[in-house]
This record gives sequence, structure tokens and C-alpha cells, in this order.
Amino acid sequence: MTDAGTPITSKIPDKAELSDIVRTSMPWTSRLRLPGGTISEMFAAAFLILLVLIALFVNFIPGLVSPRLPYGDFSQLPELSLNGLFGTDDIGRSILSRVLYGARASLMIVFIATCISVSVGLLLGMLAGYFRGILERMVDLYANTMSALPSILVVLAFVTATGTSVMTIILILGILDVGTYARVAKAGVISQSNRDYVLAARAMGATDARILLKEILPNLVPALTAVMPTLMAGLIITEGSLSFLGYGIPAPAPSWGGMIASSTDLLSRFPILIFGPILAIVLTVYALNTVGDYLAQRLNNRERGQ
Amino acid sequence: MLTSLIPYAKAISLRILAGIPVFILVTFGATALSSLAPGSAALLILGENATAEQVAELNRAYGYDLPVWERYLKWLGGLLQGDLGQTLFSQQPVFEVVLERAAVTFEIALLAMLLSLIGIPLAMYTASHAGKILDRFLRSVSSVLLSVPTFVIVVLLSYLFAIVLRWLPATGWASFSKDPIANLWYVTLPVICLSLHQTAYLYRVARNEFVATLQEDFVQVARAKGLPLSYILMRHVLRPSMPQILTVMGLSLTYMLAGSFVVESYFAVPGIGWTVLTAVKSHDIPLVQAILSLTVVVFVIVFMLVDIGYAIIDPRVAVS
Repeated sequence: MTDAGTPITSKIPDKAELSDIVRTSMPWTSRLRLPGGTISEMFAAAFLILLVLIALFVNFIPGLVSPRLPYGDFSQLPELSLNGLFGTDDIGRSILSRVLYGARASLMIVFIATCISVSVGLLLGMLAGYFRGILERMVDLYANTMSALPSILVVLAFVTATGTSVMTIILILGILDVGTYARVAKAGVISQSNRDYVLAARAMGATDARILLKEILPNLVPALTAVMPTLMAGLIITEGSLSFLGYGIPAPAPSWGGMIASSTDLLSRFPILIFGPILAIVLTVYALNTVGDYLAQRLNNRERGQ
Repeated sequence: MLTSLIPYAKAISLRILAGIPVFILVTFGATALSSLAPGSAALLILGENATAEQVAELNRAYGYDLPVWERYLKWLGGLLQGDLGQTLFSQQPVFEVVLERAAVTFEIALLAMLLSLIGIPLAMYTASHAGKILDRFLRSVSSVLLSVPTFVIVVLLSYLFAIVLRWLPATGWASFSKDPIANLWYVTLPVICLSLHQTAYLYRVARNEFVATLQEDFVQVARAKGLPLSYILMRHVLRPSMPQILTVMGLSLTYMLAGSFVVESYFAVPGIGWTVLTAVKSHDIPLVQAILSLTVVVFVIVFMLVDIGYAIIDPRVAVS
């Protein structure tokens, strides 16, 4: 940016580039280097693995009560027992159980939405990067448009017309990041297209489809993986905000945003009861951001090394 | 004199030209939204028990039975005359409602933006004392803050300031024109909540920019000449770091102007975000459509200003 030779051009960065701008050297824990990463990076990765395990197997946790049925007194304070660890909510349901089942709901929604946006974005981005022309312009237009609108506004606009259901939320969250993934894939394809290995494949008579799928696609994986955790953290926040506002996961089902919203009424009397869901969502977002920063850092180092 | 303005005019017209397709895509998409409604838009709005006459009347007024492109052309025509239709339930002109609410959001967003500028001097200090305790502390604080969703910030701060300390009101509103003092009183907590994220964000971007700039040769020269650090920071470091900072400020401002949904709904501030939420509840598609369009226009205008800012900071931009 400060290099005197290159003119500074104004350009609207998309989400992936922004996380790049914000990225900073690691916090103080970076001095405590362990093989594979810093302490906070190892912690973040371990936390994410634990979270995924919980989301998959929460119904097998022995002794954990149902998140939908009353378990103890109304608004019972935390105590030293599995179900009472975070206390109970205003109708006596175990907050710990709801937090854990809420992890399943959040992760499932974000995972499916990410699958949608990665596959659509990858397809569009690869075609746009390989064939350029009108398709590239359309992908750029889509990505620009999506970065001009705040995610929640887009989701709420759709919800106005379609009403709320888990299905629509997943689909809408799925289209939010298509443009960003497409842009990353497109940039990757453009930078790979002129490499020797692609020329060699073409010289040997490989079809476009073969070159794209067998030669270029594997080389796009690192760049896509590096933006994924940060974008997923954004989706977790968007989904949480929606549930907080009452347009996310419908009511009796547990969701972190919904739990935080419902415990605000009791905030003046039982502030401790809001602790569980807040801890869950903040840790999840922090872990995803940390892992995302780590992956992007490694990718940068690798590219600089080339 | 006039010729020196030509580059600016060029930059502005480029930005407007680039904004037109985005505007068309968003507004067309907003028009097409009502076709996504399960059953029909009219049934969604009126409810399952609507009579055929009610449906026909709504369709006549809002054109939900017309094909999408026809509805879009009608809407565009209305836009040129400054008429975006009526809101569904209160039957007020959409244009007036949106402008009135936008003024409220604009006040909050602008104040939050000003408050978040604290991040810049903080970043200046810590960047020039990189690795010291304050630097490491603020880096950790900002990375944690960036992981806390706004709805959590809102809940925690309102608990602290409104319930524990009782310094500020949790909800309520007084318009600025009627009672400026009360308005400031009500606006304080929303503004703080809104600006926390922006401050952390701006701080990180600015700090990284400053750290990079401080390693440039011209800074080393200035230091070797024995210039005081504060002079170097203001005179040599701030300017080359500004483009990145301006971009982030522009982006935050648009996002805050587009409606700080969580903050406005929690504190009952009658702004754009709050309006969208009520519109969602009543399926008020015309209102949502107007707000989406406004958001795109605001985005284009803000980035036009950012472009002009770039050109002022670095004349080479205008030349290139």
C-alpha cells in the first residue's frame, strides 16, 4: 500500500480480503510456540473439534436431559451437576442441554449453508476464471452486490417474502457467500491457468473439463479452505442475530441467539443465566476466526515462498 | 482551476456507472421477492382467510399478479417521480417513511463513527510502541471484541449501564428536533454498542497499517534526522496509511447506515433497522424494497466520498 511506485486504486474489498486486511500478528500467546501453532491456535482447533463431536453425538451424552422438557425449577441458579451447570431457564429447562443442542442446530445450518455456497461458488468461479467474458462480469457483479448489502438485511428481505423456517434460513445463508467463494476460486483459476502444468495438460490434448477438474481444482483447495472458517464465523453471527431477533430457528428448538434473547427479560434478576449461550457463541466465533487467521497466514507464507 | 476538478468528476462518474448494475440487480431482486412467497404474495400478506375480493384489491394496488418485469418497470417509473408506493398497513408514502427513519439511523451511525475514531490515536501510539504491554493488551482486546456478536454486546452493555449502574436508559426515544438533550441521553447506549465493533476493527486495520509504514525508509530517515516521534506520526505515517483506513470507515458507515438491526430493535430506536424488522413481521414488501434500494444508493455515495478522499490524500490516484 505504501510502495511509492504503485498507484493506490480504490476498490471495494470483499469479505475474504477484509479479513486479510484485519489480520494482525498473533497475540501475546504467540511466544509460546508449540509444534503446529500457538497455544491459542491449538486451543481453537481443539475447541472446534470438540464442538463438532458434541454436535454429532449430543444425544448420546449420558445423563443429559432433553432441551425441550422442564428439568428443574424456573430460573434455577447454576449448580454442580451436569444438567444444572449453567442453571435452568424461565420454564425450567436445562440451559447446558439447550446450549449443547443449540450447537448442533447452529453447526448444522452453517455447515449445509457453507456446502451450498462452496459448491455453487466454486462452479461459477471456476467457469468464470477459465472462460472469462460475460460470465466473469456476472460473477463480479454478484460478488460486488453482495458486499454492498449487509448480510442480515439480505436475509431479512427474503424472510419478509417467504416467512421463517430452518430450510429457508439455510438456503438464504447459502447464497450470501457464493460471491466471495466464486471470487476466490476465480482468482485461483486465473493465476493457475498459465502455469506450465496446465499448458502441458493442454498440449497432451486434455479437455477443458479435465484440466479444470483434475489439474486446477486440487490447487484451489488451500485458498478456499483459508477463507472458509472466517466466513463460517460470519454465518454463525448472522444466524445468531436472526434467532436473537426472532427470525431464525423457530422457538421451541434451542438456539444460542434465541436463548440470549429470552434470558434478557430475566437479566435484572438472574444475570448469571445468560452466561452459557454467550460463552458458547463467543468461543465458537473466536475459535473459527483464530483458525481462519492461522490458515490464511500459512497460505500467505506458502505463496511468498513460491 | 476547473481542469483540476476533472479527475474527481471522472472518479465520481466511474463509481456511479459501476453502481448502476448493482442498483438494478438489487432493486429487481427486491421486486422479484414477492414471487417467492409461498402461495401468492397477496395471500401471505392478508393471511389464509382472505376473501377473493381482498386479494383482487391488493393485487390491483400493488400489482402482485403482474409478471415480475412489468412490476419492476412500474416501480422504476414510480421511483423517477419520487413515488415508491404506500406502506402496506399504515398506508403512508414509503418515501417519506424511509427518509424519516433514515435520519434517525444516520444520527446514530455518524456518532458511532466519530466515537470509533478513538481507534486511530490508540493505533498510532501502540504501533510506535509495538510489542509493549499496551500493544499486546489492545491486540487481545480487539480480537476478542471482534468475536463478540453485536447482540451479545448489546445485552451485556445494557445490563451494565442500565441495570447495574443505572446511568443510562435501556430503551426509549425522543426525537432530536423536539428535545435534543433527551435525544442524546437515549442515543448514548446504542451509539456505544454500535461503535465498539467499529473501534476494534478500525484499531486493528490502522495499527497494522502504521506498523508497516513505520518500517518504510522515509520514516527511518525522518527518525535519523531526529524529528520528534509525534511529528513523524502525524506528518509522515498517517497520510500513506489513510486509504486503507478510509475504506474500512466507508464500509462500516454503510453497514451502520443500512440499519443496525440488533441495536435498533433492542433499544427501540425508530431507525431503518427497526423499520425493516417491523416490515418483516407484516410482510411489507414495498417498504423492504425501498430500504434495499436506499442501501445500495448509500453504498455508492459513501464509496464515492471514499474515492474523493483517496484523491485528496494521494494526488497520484486522480492522475492514474
